[in-house]
Amino acid sequence: MATGSSTAGDSEEEFEARVGLRYTVERILDDTSARISLYVVVLITAVATFAFVDSTLLDYYVANTYWHNPLSASASARPLLPPVGLTNEFGTGTWVYPLGTDTRGRGILVRLVYGSRVAMQVALVSTVLGMVLGSVVGAVAGYYGGWTDDVLMRLAEVVYSIPFLVLVIAFMTVFGRDLTIAMIGVGLITVPIFARLIRSEVLSVREETYVEAARAAGVRDRDILLRHVIPNSFAPVVVQATLQMGTNILIVAGLSFLGFGAQPPTPSWGQMLSQSRNYMLPNPWFSIWPGLAILVTVMAFNVIGDGFRDTLDPRLND
Amino acid sequence: MSRIRYTIRRLAQTVPVLVGITSITFFLIHAMPGSPVEVMLGPTASEELIAEARAQYGFDQPLYVQYLSYLWSAVQGDLGTSLHYGVPVTTKILERLPVTLLLLASSFTFALGIAVPLGVLAAKRRKKPADHVSRVVSLIGVSTPNFWIGLVLIIVFTYRLDLLPATGLVLPWRPPSEVSGASTTLDVLVASARTLIMPTIALGTLQMAAVTRIERSSMLEVLNQDYIGLARAFGVKEGTILRKHAFKNAQLPVVTIVGLQLTSSLGGAVLTETVFNINGMGRLIIQAIRAQDFPLIMGTTLFFGFMFVIGTLITDLIYGYLDPRVTYEGAN
Repeated sequence: MATGSSTAGDSEEEFEARVGLRYTVERILDDTSARISLYVVVLITAVATFAFVDSTLLDYYVANTYWHNPLSASASARPLLPPVGLTNEFGTGTWVYPLGTDTRGRGILVRLVYGSRVAMQVALVSTVLGMVLGSVVGAVAGYYGGWTDDVLMRLAEVVYSIPFLVLVIAFMTVFGRDLTIAMIGVGLITVPIFARLIRSEVLSVREETYVEAARAAGVRDRDILLRHVIPNSFAPVVVQATLQMGTNILIVAGLSFLGFGAQPPTPSWGQMLSQSRNYMLPNPWFSIWPGLAILVTVMAFNVIGDGFRDTLDPRLND
Repeated sequence: MSRIRYTIRRLAQTVPVLVGITSITFFLIHAMPGSPVEVMLGPTASEELIAEARAQYGFDQPLYVQYLSYLWSAVQGDLGTSLHYGVPVTTKILERLPVTLLLLASSFTFALGIAVPLGVLAAKRRKKPADHVSRVVSLIGVSTPNFWIGLVLIIVFTYRLDLLPATGLVLPWRPPSEVSGASTTLDVLVASARTLIMPTIALGTLQMAAVTRIERSSMLEVLNQDYIGLARAFGVKEGTILRKHAFKNAQLPVVTIVGLQLTSSLGGAVLTETVFNINGMGRLIIQAIRAQDFPLIMGTTLFFGFMFVIGTLITDLIYGYLDPRVTYEGAN
């Protein structure tokens, strides 16, 4: 395919910025929007970690003791309440449920908090899976070339040609509708993205003098790949992984919206949106909040990803 | 090499990709738990009835025989009969296809119609308000789930303002007698436009955001080139530089992105069609997977793959038009 794209990473001599993680992070933090986004990501990660611990290890002990249970409503709760201060046909919103309640009278806020776990967990695991497998596949294809390269890249093209969402759904129909399968499915399907990226990096790194020197010194291919080629091709992969976190959160939300994510009563953002569809007239807020949660999270990852890109590829940072 | 020969060679290259798609889908769906015949006949069906149906659809044959015979009929344009709908798969696809194509065409028109001018303007007025607007718009656009945009639009334009219908899509070429409340062709066109607005925005926003971004950075890169500086030194007007010298050269990456967006749009169409209850290809494929309708799943994915392949081919051909330096010779 003739792709004359001029994206990151084809001008090695300008890479003065590649002097360690610390420098990169400092440069990113100079930018206000990136700094705020980093705080957002840290906050959501903390919330999701808490939700993960409380739901899987403590059996919702913290939620039951100090807050509401996200899975079932208390006896006094009323359904479809609006956010605090607003009134609709079901009543007036109170501070007990600041964002209102869903169809079963469960607090929307508490469900958003516990729903963050699904989004973050699936996105993180699938991104890491896609990144690791994709890097290996791409590095092998780029380093060895020949038929390995041909086969792997044709395979990547095949996966590319079917919409991600459809492939993941087919995958989940075969192997089961639970979260683990969703993580593996999304991860596998993003392998080609990382494979292509690192392949093109490897193609340029392969010709560097130090790789040639290592080869001349008798270093084994596997060690050259792992110790020299992959680490030196990694900058764009980090950028892509950050952006992919955002994309994967969107994919997971879409899956849950179609009923292929976490199964009820476990809350997830996409599933909440799907449940809200029939109540948009009486309580539109039910549909607003989960979408905002997705938007803010994905946007934070995108801003950080852009920040990384600007720092690692100064050409774009004019 | 002439463009025609290049096109033919590229078409030939698509064959392995299509075979790859059929084999992946084929073996994936045959790994699905439960048999489609049992799903179709229901839990009360007798053993004999199931065996009979299995034989009728050829499911009792070895896998490779089923696969090869599927490929053989597919080459002849026969994608089998849908188990769920009981009609040929091609009929079902052709029935749903126009809806999705219309939706895709209008969302791409919407996306490009906003993104190209906005991206160019942002590059021209760098670090001015227009640029900041373009950055914010594209950032929000790539970060928002399209089905949520759909829900918000329905809340605002259907439930609050009562302006637009929330469900369905009216094809503009339907006869007035088949469209409720329409008596003339004009009525049909109006009804069609009204049903198309919200799905178009929901589906097109992501494309719009992605293209704005790439249009801006690509224009900036071209405007920094020496030949643009030379034109400026010669006193060529800024508007002329933008229109005659910079614009066309900046469109190559844009074309790439638009080509790649085709597949993700089809994925997005699955969600958009669900939100607006539109019976297009996207919903068809989900229904097919839910009903374990093997021939329909095969047919629709093969068709999606085919559209992707055609999309990339068109992208490559547009390249040659935009940049005469792109030759169609050699492997790379």
